[in-house]
Amino acid sequence: MKSFSLTASDTRGFSAPALVIGVAILAALFLFPSFVQSPYVLHMMILLFLSTIMGESWNIIGGYTGQYSVGHAAYFGAGAYGTLILLQKWEIAPWFGMWVGIAVALVLALVIGSICFRLRGPYFVLASIAVAEIVRLTVLNTPTVTNGAEGILLTDIPPFKIGATVITDFVSKVPFYYISLVLALLTIAVTWLVQHSKLGYCIQAIREDQDAAHSLGISLSFYKNVALAISATLTSLAGSFYAIYIKFIDPTTVLALDLSVQIVLIAIIGGIGTIYGPVVGSLVLVPLSEALRSNVIAQGLINSGIVREDSGIGIFLKEHLAHAHVLIYGILVVIVILFMPDGVLGFVKKMTKKSGTGD
Amino acid sequence: MTFNVLVQAIISGILVGGVYALIGIGLTIIFGVMRVINFAHGELMMVGMYMTYFLFTLAGIDPFVSIVITIPLMFIFGGILQKVFINRIIGTLPQNQILLTIGLGLIMSNSIMLAFTSDYKILTTSYSSASVSIAGISVSEPLTISFLITAVITAVLYWFLMKTDMGQAMRATSQDREAAQLMGINVQRMSILAFGLGASLAGTAGALISPTYYIFPQVGSAFTLKAFVIVVLGGMGSVIGATLGGIIIGVVESVGAVTISSDWKDVLVFTIFLLVLLVKPSGLMGKSRM
Repeated sequence: MKSFSLTASDTRGFSAPALVIGVAILAALFLFPSFVQSPYVLHMMILLFLSTIMGESWNIIGGYTGQYSVGHAAYFGAGAYGTLILLQKWEIAPWFGMWVGIAVALVLALVIGSICFRLRGPYFVLASIAVAEIVRLTVLNTPTVTNGAEGILLTDIPPFKIGATVITDFVSKVPFYYISLVLALLTIAVTWLVQHSKLGYCIQAIREDQDAAHSLGISLSFYKNVALAISATLTSLAGSFYAIYIKFIDPTTVLALDLSVQIVLIAIIGGIGTIYGPVVGSLVLVPLSEALRSNVIAQGLINSGIVREDSGIGIFLKEHLAHAHVLIYGILVVIVILFMPDGVLGFVKKMTKKSGTGD
Repeated sequence: MTFNVLVQAIISGILVGGVYALIGIGLTIIFGVMRVINFAHGELMMVGMYMTYFLFTLAGIDPFVSIVITIPLMFIFGGILQKVFINRIIGTLPQNQILLTIGLGLIMSNSIMLAFTSDYKILTTSYSSASVSIAGISVSEPLTISFLITAVITAVLYWFLMKTDMGQAMRATSQDREAAQLMGINVQRMSILAFGLGASLAGTAGALISPTYYIFPQVGSAFTLKAFVIVVLGGMGSVIGATLGGIIIGVVESVGAVTISSDWKDVLVFTIFLLVLLVKPSGLMGKSRM
């Protein structure tokens, strides 16, 4: 657990070069859409930000508090369904609907917290899965409200207006780019604030040793529930954004166990309990799974002459590799757990430190 | 709803529960000996289903006969998994164990999907939909055969755990790993044995339900969850508990499907699960281990 304290001291004061690089990256991100108009590239960036939001929000409860929730799809689904049901059935704009999503997610978090936080370790993990599954099955089986297995298809988004001026009509990907960028920065800022607040110290104490923390007068259930509430709120926001951006949700895409697992993996692969871990995890996972999904890897193997296109393997890879992008999640998590216990970020830090002292 | 329907639901629940018990026993043995919660358990079952499917379609071996081949193959597969992966994380944070086995499960289901596509496969035997009628209550034939096989396997397993030296060594390891080691028990070998045993029980369960169930790469995760419910209900590490838990869950599902609706039966199962976790986390047989 040494690396946690290391990263905490790293970020307490900003050195001048770090500040310059940070501002430069921020400026580049904000100016990005004025230079790159390709919808595909923008789509990739949006997926990257979305993944960062999900990873960072999970990180608050999983990474900092040490409560491995494998049921975060419930909050994501609450945001997605809350927003789309209100928009599609009652024509309530998403920037109001998302608050309903957050409210639902908070109620869920309170229920889940009061049931699950009494349990520890593996029991907590199992209980979080069970609650998320109950939510998914309930949504699936109440088609009058949620459309059941068919899901909800968003037909059109009302333009965003302040007074009479139309700010954006959501036709291009640019508004989505900025919304997701701001949300991602917001979650990173919240994580930073949490880490450097009393709350942060308390939840990290709970992670390291619940009983010791309790004996020091830290209220376990209070701090765990606050951390979960923050995490659920941010995850619900990610869900609302996803629903409006993708324009289609069903229980399989926004409420399934697979999604909960993927949310956990973003943080685990990057490095849990660190501010930039989920960012690194997203930078690793999003391009990789997208490369598999869009068949870049199969095509690359064929183009580079390793596999012949008309051979059996070539045809097989072209047809099937795209469907197996989750395979990469599995392989990565096994590698990370066995060889990089602090995630990719921790691994890179250790490597650079080693080579640094070697010089 | 007539009385007959209810009796029939209870009977078919018990029959399905036998197979559930097999899945649960495998999981509970792995947990007992290694303190590892195997999130890839349903996936091991799925691998067993595919083995059975291909033994049937390619070699024409009946699914109930093919367990003679499935059991040793799955034992070796489980042993290798334990030796190469699981062994490295024994005694580390439970979270890491959970994530590692989730990762292994993802690799298994997605590799199978890559190799055989995600199409549903159906194994149709001459008796797949046959049923016998006893006193006005019809009982599915393949479920009855699979229940009988389950009963035999469970009996052999009890005998192995209670009467043989190796079984006693396994029980000792599950009671206290370090003390067992001090007594000269090779706990490394016990772990391989336990995981191999768990995998072959899961594989057998897969083989037994394959004549009555769809076979597809993602079938595992639903059974993984079910296996946890069964094991927690019975008490983690208790073989008798897992047997009881399996049958209880089978009956709850089947009676729930006829009295409430089949859409809500899983909600019922998960609610029971949460209640058990809240009221009696040690489960029905929590005290006695194995």
